[in-house]
Order: sequence, then C-alpha cells, then structure tokens
Amino acid sequence: MSSQQTEFAAFFQASWEPCLRTVVAVVGSAQLAEDQVAEAFARAWASWPKVGRHPAPRAWVVRTALNAGASWWRQRRRELPLADHDLTAPSGLDDGLDARLLTAIWRLPRRQREVIALRIFLDLDNATIARQLGIEAGTVRMHLSRGVTALRHELTPAKNMEAGNERPR
Amino acid sequence: MNVHDEMSENEVLRAASRSLSAMPVASPPDVEAIMASGRARRMRRMRRRSGVAGLSVAVAGTALGLGLTGVFGSAPGTIRTMSFTIASNPNGTATLTISPKVLIDAAALQSDLRQYGIPAIVTSGSFCSSGLGPAGFSQVVHVYPAPGPRRHILPPGMHATFTINPAAMPAGAELSFGIFRFSSGEQQADFMLVNKNSYTCASTPPSQLPGSGGQVVFRPR
Repeated sequence: MSSQQTEFAAFFQASWEPCLRTVVAVVGSAQLAEDQVAEAFARAWASWPKVGRHPAPRAWVVRTALNAGASWWRQRRRELPLADHDLTAPSGLDDGLDARLLTAIWRLPRRQREVIALRIFLDLDNATIARQLGIEAGTVRMHLSRGVTALRHELTPAKNMEAGNERPR
Repeated sequence: MNVHDEMSENEVLRAASRSLSAMPVASPPDVEAIMASGRARRMRRMRRRSGVAGLSVAVAGTALGLGLTGVFGSAPGTIRTMSFTIASNPNGTATLTISPKVLIDAAALQSDLRQYGIPAIVTSGSFCSSGLGPAGFSQVVHVYPAPGPRRHILPPGMHATFTINPAAMPAGAELSFGIFRFSSGEQQADFMLVNKNSYTCASTPPSQLPGSGGQVVFRPR
C-alpha cells in the first residue's frame, strides 16, 4: 500500500462509524445512510489529495453523503408512504426513552437534525458547521437552540418522573 | 423557574447522543472495495476531462455497451471498460465495479473475469443456475452494498462492487452472472455459483434465487 492508501484506510476505519451515525441521524434510514456514506467515502478517495488536506475531512464526507442522497430522496419522495417527519424509531431498543427521543429527533426539521448530528458525532463548533452547511454561524446557533428546545420538551417529563420516583417517601 | 430549564443544552445533546448511539449500524465495508469504487470514479472524471465523455454519453444513450478494454491506459492489473472495471488486489482477490449507466457487455466481462482466474458464465438477457448450486458463495464473492436476502435496488447512479476470491472457488464451480436490461434503463444483475457441467439458463429474470447469491438493480442517474 502507498502512504496515501495507508492514510486513507486509517481515516476510513476511524471515520466510518461517526460519519454513518451522523447521516443516519439526518436521513433516518440505516440502509440508505450506509449506501450514501459508502459512496461519499469512494468520492473522498477519488479526490483524496484534496480531501486529505481538508480542515474537517469527516464533515466533507458527511456533506457529500447528504448531497448524494438529496437527489435520491427527491426522486423517491412520491413513492414513500411516509414523509420524512413521520419517521419513527426502530423497534427493539431496550430503553423506551430512546425510542421516543429518536422519534422526536426525526420529527425535527432537517436542518435542525443536521446541526445536532454534526455537533454530537463530529464534535464540530458552530463556525465549522456553518461552513459545511453554507449558512451563517448565527443560523446554526438558532437551529441548534430550536432543536434542543424541542428535544427538551420530550425529555423533561421523563426526567421529572424520574425525579419524582427518587423522592424520599 | 421554567420547568425546561432543568436540562442544559449539553444534557439534552448527551441524551440525544445516547439514543442515536444505541442504534445498531453496519460495520465498515472492505476498504479495498471503497477504494476501487473511488478509482473508477476518478477514471471516469479523467475521461470526461479528456473529451471522451462525449463518446461515453453517446454510447450510454444508445445502449451499445461497447467493451473498450484497456483503451484508457490502464495500470497493470486493472481492466477498465465503459461499463465495468476489474482491479486486482494484493491479497489475490479481484474487485469488479459495475457502472449503472452503460449496458454491460457480457462477453467482455466473462472474458476479462477469466483473465483474473475467475471462471464465469456471464449472460445478457438470461440467467444460468443449477439448483441450489455449490456451497461457498459467501467465501468467493463479497458484494458491496450487500444485497441481503432480497433484491437490492441501488440509488440512482450508485455503483456496486464485487470482490471475488478465485482461490475460494469450489472445484467444478463457476460464477454465473446474469444481466437483464429493462425499458426503464435499469439493469438487474443476478449472481450465484453454478456447477460447471450442469446448469440451465432461463430468459426471465428470477424473482428469487434458488440458492445463495444476490440480485442487484442498477439505476442510471
């Protein structure tokens, strides 16, 4: 393997999961996300001299994956039985709160999901997220705040219930 | 105090992270397959830049499916045609990448697979099978994206890669690769192992494979 191949292979192994989780959080389908992320990594290798020097290569992969999926979603929209805001969490999760929160995440507007996913899984600051999404940092802050507020509404009753249960009798 | 002040932004994000991280996701595919797909993409880009794009589009549009083996100055160990690329890997496997845009030239693919030591029956408009076929498909062929137990329809423009290990091919077996072209422009590839001396071919796309193998549908962008 050349040094570039070794470098790319290491990047790929370390970045596959966070990039895939970010895209899953946005598109709501693990299968679709997997296809899009694989395609994005292939494009990353095709342009590795450029992507390898990118200040946030994982963000490049995620943005490419999401862009690759956009046209696919547009073409399939008519065939989908559910709009994307109707996505629900998969069954089989142990914690009921997880399923409810996942459903709440996928009911957020797409931009809010993107901002939250990039923050959580790629640990990007507002300025970097703004550059990746082509929006202002203030707009990122607004989407993050609105998304967090919506999720907090979902979480707070559970938290209050837990606090109530823990209260000494 | 507002009840929602009880959770800070970081707490909410941590909770969201826990929930999203609880979802099972696929482990990374073979990096060689990803790199092969990237190489094919780079070659297509170079062809477009060098002005061969016009020829590519014309060929795709008229579905002539020419097999232009080696026309583009391939590196040793790599065969590139308009519709597929085969690259040899250091571990002795070969990676076949199929373009969704151009009709696959079955004869060229069969001939080129044989150059890599892969015995194959590649047919266009038909598919050859022999009952359940020899065991060991999963040791011979790794497909990305994994086709799963049912027909796998790829997003428009997406390539599929097949990493094939000729050393794992059972004695007396061949790889059957059937290609069907639909009026919508989609191509369906059916693949499984067959007994070299005992197989039958049918001209209708199988709704389900009799044994282990896969079905992938390519869609032009």
